[in-house]
Amino acid sequence: MKLGVFVSDFKFTADILDRLKADKLGIILVQNGIYHATTKENGKSSSLLDKTSNLYALSEDIQIRGLKTTDVDKRVKVVNYSDVVDLVFNEYDKVAWL
Amino acid sequence: MGTLTIGCYPGLVGSMAYDFALKLADAAATKGHKVNIWFSGNATGSVKAHQKHLKDYSTGEKYLTALLAKGVEICTCEACTVARGILKTEGIEKIQWNAMHWYLAKIHKSDRVLLIGGE
Amino acid sequence: MGENVKLAFIVQKPQYKGETSRLAITHAIAYQTVEILLEDGELVTPTLCFIGEGVLGLQKGQNAMELYGITSTESHIKNTLLVDLDVLICKEDLVKYGIPEDALPDAEDMGADKKLQVVPFAQIQKAMEDAKHVLFF
Repeated sequence: MKLGVFVSDFKFTADILDRLKADKLGIILVQNGIYHATTKENGKSSSLLDKTSNLYALSEDIQIRGLKTTDVDKRVKVVNYSDVVDLVFNEYDKVAWL
Repeated sequence: MGTLTIGCYPGLVGSMAYDFALKLADAAATKGHKVNIWFSGNATGSVKAHQKHLKDYSTGEKYLTALLAKGVEICTCEACTVARGILKTEGIEKIQWNAMHWYLAKIHKSDRVLLIGGE
Repeated sequence: MGENVKLAFIVQKPQYKGETSRLAITHAIAYQTVEILLEDGELVTPTLCFIGEGVLGLQKGQNAMELYGITSTESHIKNTLLVDLDVLICKEDLVKYGIPEDALPDAEDMGADKKLQVVPFAQIQKAMEDAKHVLFF
C-alpha cells in the first residue's frame, strides 16, 4: 500500500504512525504539523522526520505562522495546495489524516 | 482526472482544519478533478446562510458558494445540522442535505478519500 | 456484478469527549442503507477497527443515556453487531491499557450472533491494506 499521511499536530502520534506499514509512506505536514519540519525541541529535530524520506510541508501553513521556507529541515520538501492534490492522486493510493 | 471525496467534521469556527478541507477541495477542483464534500459533526454548522465574516473567524459561506459554482458537490448531514438548530430553509442554496449513506455512496465512486476528523 | 468497495474505519480516539469516534460507528452502520444510492450489485463494506486510545471506549456497562441523555457507545457497538459489521479490536492495545476481553460488550441480548473480534494489530493492518480507502476517526 502506498499511504500518504497528513500530520496536523505538533504532538507526535508516534504510537499509531510507528505501527503503520506501507510499501511507500509519505508524511504531509499541515497546520501545526509543520513545526515538525521547522522546530527543534531541546535542540533535537522531530523523530517524525526519520520515519520516511517522503516528507512534505505545506507552504501556506508555514508562512501563516511567521516561519520561512528557509526554516524548514532540508529533508522536507515545501509544497503548496496544488502540489498536495498531485501527491494525493499520483503518489499515494490511500490517504489518511491523523 | 480523478474523484476526491473529503469528509469534513471540524467546525467552521474554532478549527482551521475546516479551512484546510475547503482549500484542498478548491485546489483539486481547479486542477479539473471531481470533488465531493461531506459535512458531519460540527462542520454542519457552516451550511447556514448569511454568515457574517468577522476577521477573527473564517467564513465558510463565500468559499462554499464559490466551490459550488466550480461544480463541487457539497452535502451536509441532515441529523447533525438540525441538531444544531439549523433549518433547511436557512441553509446555503445548492448545498445538499442527506444522511450518512450519501457519503458512503460518494466514497464508492471515488479514487481518493480524505476524512478530516473533528475532536 | 458491481464493485464491492471495502473501507477500513480506524477509531483511534476515546469516546465521549468529542464525537468523531462515535461518528465512525454510525457512519459504518450506514452501509446498510447505501444501496439506495448505488447501482444493483454495488456494495460498500466497512470494517470498523479500534486501535490505540480508541479501545478505551469499549467498556461495557456505559451509562450515557442515564447521565447525559445520549446513546452510549456500547449501544452503538451492539448495533454494529446486529447489522453484521466486522468489528476488530486491537489485542495489543487492550493489553496495554489492562482491559480484559470480557469487559467488552456483546449483543447477545439483542439476538446478534456476531461478536467483537479481538485481533493482533497485524490483522488490522491487513484490513487497511485490503481496503480501497482508509478513514481515521
